[in-house]
Amino acid sequence: MAVRSDSRFLDAPLVPVSCRVCGAGVRVRKSTWDQTSVQWDGEALASCTERRASGPGPGPSGEVFRGCGALAEAIREAAVLGEVRVRSEDG
Amino acid sequence: MTTADDVRSIEADALPTRFARGWHCLGLARDFTDGKPHTVRAFGQKLVVWAAADGTLNVLDAYCRHMGGDLSRGTVEGDDIACPFHAWRWGGDGRCTRVPYARRVPLRARTAAFPTVRQDGLLFVWNDPEGKPPPEDVTVPRIAGATSDEWTDWSWYSVEIKGANCREIIDNVVDMAHFFYVHYSFPTYFKNIFEGHTATQIMKGVAREDVRRPQAEGSSAPTVLGQTSVATYHGPSFMTDDLTYHYSDGDVDSVLVNCHYPITADSFMLQYGIVVQKAGHLGDTAEDVAAKMGEFIKIGFEQDVSIWQHKARIDNPLLCEEDGPVYQLRRWYEQFYVDAAEVRPEMTDRFEFEIDTTKPNAAWRAEIAENLAQRNGGTGSDATAGAGTGAAVSGPV
Ligand code: FES
Ligand SMILES: [Fe+2]
Repeated sequence: MAVRSDSRFLDAPLVPVSCRVCGAGVRVRKSTWDQTSVQWDGEALASCTERRASGPGPGPSGEVFRGCGALAEAIREAAVLGEVRVRSEDG
Repeated sequence: MTTADDVRSIEADALPTRFARGWHCLGLARDFTDGKPHTVRAFGQKLVVWAAADGTLNVLDAYCRHMGGDLSRGTVEGDDIACPFHAWRWGGDGRCTRVPYARRVPLRARTAAFPTVRQDGLLFVWNDPEGKPPPEDVTVPRIAGATSDEWTDWSWYSVEIKGANCREIIDNVVDMAHFFYVHYSFPTYFKNIFEGHTATQIMKGVAREDVRRPQAEGSSAPTVLGQTSVATYHGPSFMTDDLTYHYSDGDVDSVLVNCHYPITADSFMLQYGIVVQKAGHLGDTAEDVAAKMGEFIKIGFEQDVSIWQHKARIDNPLLCEEDGPVYQLRRWYEQFYVDAAEVRPEMTDRFEFEIDTTKPNAAWRAEIAENLAQRNGGTGSDATAGAGTGAAVSGPV
């Protein structure tokens, strides 16, 4: 049961972004200023400093790492610079 | 050539021929500790579950390797299960321990045993089509509240879902919009994170003005303002949800479990349970609150079930930008359906998807305003039919 492709991601693919703090290289897609998809790989995950510093929260779902603030900042900058296209801004 | 006028077809591959590798919760452990064997249909098989003298819960294939007797109709003898046909005794490790009328047990008298874990009041079995034991790092998280005096006991429910593959319930992890249309709730924040064998949904929501719990109308009962939910699947079937309800008189913290085990490729047993923290402002009503929340969540599941039982299986969903990562979720889910050696990084690599709720929220606010105007205008309340059931309290599914 091969999983098909998300045509949204074929039409506007993920593009590389690096974290200014730890250098983690991820791939990103933004359909609006407030919508973000982030694809990590093992190497990027291992280098993320915020992740390493984070401890598990309370509760059985507390293990989940919500996301990296430094990376979010880098993604925002990349979007402002036009390195990451924001789909809703396209005419 | 594709033209704008081409009709899009629904594609659906055959149902999977195997069952997911992973820990599956069979329900409350105490329901299996009455000294009797229990029949459980799961993973396309019939299983027998019984408690040994020391309380250990055992799970074997129900069919006796002697002449095929149904062990789940036998009797518990000490730690073993005795077959109703010729009384052969089987231990929890799957080995035949005794044939009462024979000099010795024959060679290779061993049947299929499922590894089990009894934890926080729940019974888990490990299913692996390759027959391997669970890896050390693949575990079920602890639910501290379940064993704490500061929390209620489990309110637990099960329902058999016929005519749907369990992928339908998995899909709901990413399905923000259905919470408004199916469950009459109002998500304002929605993010998914997939990593390793976990898939998480973080959701915040507010109560809808056009959906009121009937018992709250005109009464002084506290009203729900909204909820915060962090729900994680730990493997293919067991989800824990750290769920906080924000009431007008304070927060109520709870842990909701949503789990299932497949019966056949197109049926599954859906189970859910809830434990609630006995917060000060609840007084000694915490057990009632837990039971009531359980009832609301039950209504939520019933809303899902009626969708599943009538919908088509679809492998090529047509998505808009405001939909969640259905394809990426299914890519994650596939890791449980291939051999352990075939699990590829793309199935387990971390993926985050945060939805922009601006547009959906604007559309929903307009719809709610319309519903309220219609209601005040005295015309029928069709637009909110069924909404008065109090299902504004919904789970993460
Ligand atoms: S079939 Fe079970 S003892 Fe004979
Ligand atoms: Fe649902």
